[in-house]
Amino acid sequence: MNLVDIAFLLLAAAAVGTALLALLVRELVHTILWVAGFFVVLAALYFLAEATFLGVLQLGVYAGAVTILLLFGVMVTRRSIFRRDAATGIGPTSVALAALVVLLLGAVAWRFGGTGAAGVTAYAPAQLSQALFGTYGPWLLLVGLAMLAALAGAIYLVREGRE
Amino acid sequence: MVGWSVLFPYAYLVPLLMVGSFVVVGLGGTRLRRFAGGGWIAVAAAGASMVLGVLLGVAEMLDPTYTDTHVVWLSLPATGTGTFPNGFELVMGTLVDPLSGLMLLVVTIVGFLVLVYSLGYMAHEKGLPRYFAELSLFLAAMNGLVLADNLFEFFVFWELVGVCSYFLIGFFYEKPSAASAAKEAFLVTRVGDVMFLLGVFLYFYVYATSGPAGGWAAHGFLFVQGSSPFLAGVMGGSTPLLTVAGLMILGGAAGKSAQFPLHVWLPDAMEGPTTVSALIHAATMVAAGVYLLAVTSLFLGFTATDDLAIVAIGGFTTFFAATMALVQPDIKRVIAYSTISQLGYMVLAVGAGFAMVGMYHLFTHAFFKALLFLAAGAVIHAVGTQDLFKMGGLRRTMRITSGVFLVGALSLSGIFPFAGFWSKDDVLSSLFGELGSHPLYWPFYLLALATVFLTGYYIFRVWFLTFSGENPRDRSLPAAHEAPGVMLVPMIVLAIFATVGGLFPFVPAFAHLLPGAGIPPSYTATDLALSALSVGLAAGGILTAWAFWGNGRVFELPAGSAAQPVRRLLLKRYYFKAGYDALGLTGVYTFARLCDFVDRYIIDGVVHGLERSFGGLSERGRRIQSGVVLDYASYVVAGVVVLLLFLLVVGPYLVATWGS
Amino acid sequence: MTDAFTTAGFLALSGALLALGLFGILTRRNFILLLVSIEIAVNAAVLNFVYFAAFAPTTAEALNGQSAAIVIVALAATEIAVGLAIVLGLNRLRGSIDVTGATDLRL
Repeated sequence: MNLVDIAFLLLAAAAVGTALLALLVRELVHTILWVAGFFVVLAALYFLAEATFLGVLQLGVYAGAVTILLLFGVMVTRRSIFRRDAATGIGPTSVALAALVVLLLGAVAWRFGGTGAAGVTAYAPAQLSQALFGTYGPWLLLVGLAMLAALAGAIYLVREGRE
Repeated sequence: MVGWSVLFPYAYLVPLLMVGSFVVVGLGGTRLRRFAGGGWIAVAAAGASMVLGVLLGVAEMLDPTYTDTHVVWLSLPATGTGTFPNGFELVMGTLVDPLSGLMLLVVTIVGFLVLVYSLGYMAHEKGLPRYFAELSLFLAAMNGLVLADNLFEFFVFWELVGVCSYFLIGFFYEKPSAASAAKEAFLVTRVGDVMFLLGVFLYFYVYATSGPAGGWAAHGFLFVQGSSPFLAGVMGGSTPLLTVAGLMILGGAAGKSAQFPLHVWLPDAMEGPTTVSALIHAATMVAAGVYLLAVTSLFLGFTATDDLAIVAIGGFTTFFAATMALVQPDIKRVIAYSTISQLGYMVLAVGAGFAMVGMYHLFTHAFFKALLFLAAGAVIHAVGTQDLFKMGGLRRTMRITSGVFLVGALSLSGIFPFAGFWSKDDVLSSLFGELGSHPLYWPFYLLALATVFLTGYYIFRVWFLTFSGENPRDRSLPAAHEAPGVMLVPMIVLAIFATVGGLFPFVPAFAHLLPGAGIPPSYTATDLALSALSVGLAAGGILTAWAFWGNGRVFELPAGSAAQPVRRLLLKRYYFKAGYDALGLTGVYTFARLCDFVDRYIIDGVVHGLERSFGGLSERGRRIQSGVVLDYASYVVAGVVVLLLFLLVVGPYLVATWGS
Repeated sequence: MTDAFTTAGFLALSGALLALGLFGILTRRNFILLLVSIEIAVNAAVLNFVYFAAFAPTTAEALNGQSAAIVIVALAATEIAVGLAIVLGLNRLRGSIDVTGATDLRL
């Protein structure tokens, strides 16, 4: 048990905890705050894995942009943003399914994982960007196209006066 | 020297003229109102074809040769191997020989006379163009049949006259009885037609596969003079297959000529116009069966078994039909049964080996039977009923008709010297001469002899009921009037033929058409005694009829008499029609029920079952499609679960079992 | 467990997070909560990519993993944008963002 291990365990517990809270609290705005925390914890986990660029990205995109977007969503769909939702029916089937997934994924982890790793290497963002714009250039272009299409679609969906 | 034979290659014009009339009248339809619904056109065509037909007949009398003119339709060369080692040919053409010359005389003359008569008889009917077109087509087909030079062509025209008969029986198609009679005639003769075709196939099979090279089949089934001994000799004359083929031909002839047991359709065919009964169902078409037998016996030859079967059918039918004629109250039906009976005589003669004698009787019968029908038609035309018991005393108002009917009746009875006497006597004496050749000929000879008595009785019963007495028994009948001239003239012409027609074979030239028929060269005392016997029987029949029905008497069979059941049996026609109907109904209904069951429970069951199962399936599938996104998400997750299970459980198991 | 910071460890973490996300997806009827659940599940996947990259034996493979993670993040952000547009449209159409009410595609 070294420090990294302890940090991982703590962060993992925090991630699961924030995700659970985000899903279980009754108030929508609280959910978003908790999920923002979840995103931050994940960013910390990325830093722990020496993926600094991704950690920054996670903070910027998720903890920042996505959270704000979700908040906007809440704001424009309700008159008062602080309102408790009625308890949502948690069907036994869905709980069972989710539990089954947990079990199965645990089994996968136990079956295929578990061997100790050599260690974690840090890579400079420069290397990453070289890979990204070199080998994965076409992918990046495709992602850009997808984002453009999504933007156009989103604008179309919320256009005023649409039947 | 240019002889009469130059005409022979143009024989095809005889049917072709009537085809032309059929086309013009059939297409002209109601536009021909000014020509009596096309009647004058048909009469003109029939007149022209009669002139040509009579010329051909006379040419045959003066120059009795076989002239065959044909085109080849289909030709398979002789290869010496395979199914038809001798090759095979299909031709279409005309054969002018003494026999067809004789038939041409009968068909064209009677056809022309009946068409002329129709102008008067049918004047008030609807659908005249249809009538004359169909009659033209019939005459075309009948002449074609007479002139056919091979068995296949014969069959084609045979079917054509059959379909014309169907059309014309059902001429008054609005009457349900006429429509059903037409169907009955078509279906019953169809049984015979199928047998005929089977017979043709069998002959074809025998001669095409095992006959001599260049034989009959290779030459297109041609009727060739002198081929009978050739074929019969080559094939041994009596192979089982040839016997069966001959029986099949007999079946075909029985269907067309209404011989027992396919006789039921002819009395019902009287639903057609009387002219049709006279031409088709007395003089020509029904005689085609006899003609077929004669042609087959002359050109192909029957085996001894066939001959016996033909004699049996003919002899039995002669008597059988005559008994039914005894009690019928319908004037046309009596004559119809008489036709069946007389056709039986012809079949009898052909079976006994005297094809020409049978043709002789066919020749005279055509005239006196057509005469009887036309005279009966004149009576029906005048009083509007066919019920003998309503008529009576018509001799006073219809003098000429009663006279010609009397001539026809005397001729039919076989009273010297009318035409029927000579031919019937010839049939009986020929059979008498053959009695020694087979012991079973005796009973049929006796039946035929007894029929002479019955014939005299039933036809004079008709005459007395119709014409003798003071007044019609039914007072409500319209006042009768003599038929118009256009109807009288054909009847008078036929009456002349019915009187002197029997003497024709004594004319040396005419005898060429009927070699072997007529009075034997040496007229022995036995022959004289036989003639006296048959005339005596006929006279006895006439006297019996006079005793019962003469001078307007009506004989009522006392109730409870022992003869009542017999009378009922005869009136019900031996229950043959009812039996056939029941048989057909049972068979068809059972089959229909079976089909219904299969359709309803098996085919529909499968269809509906499939439909229901798919319906249920889609109903259940429809519920899956709830529209709620969450449900769809759970399906995705379930899929993931399945995949994971596969990865964890099934995959390792497969790898462990089958290796990597 | 002597060493938490191993493949087994982060696999267990990401598995748990994915299951949580799925649980949310299956049970939440509020569209925004649905989006949140989806984000949790997606992040579980991204976590996998990042950690496998961290433990990858070669540089190229490590960079592969991180690149994939970046693409996923970008696409997830895009999806959120479209998802929120749908939330707005749904709200305008029905006055509610309850996804169980939107069943027009049902047969």
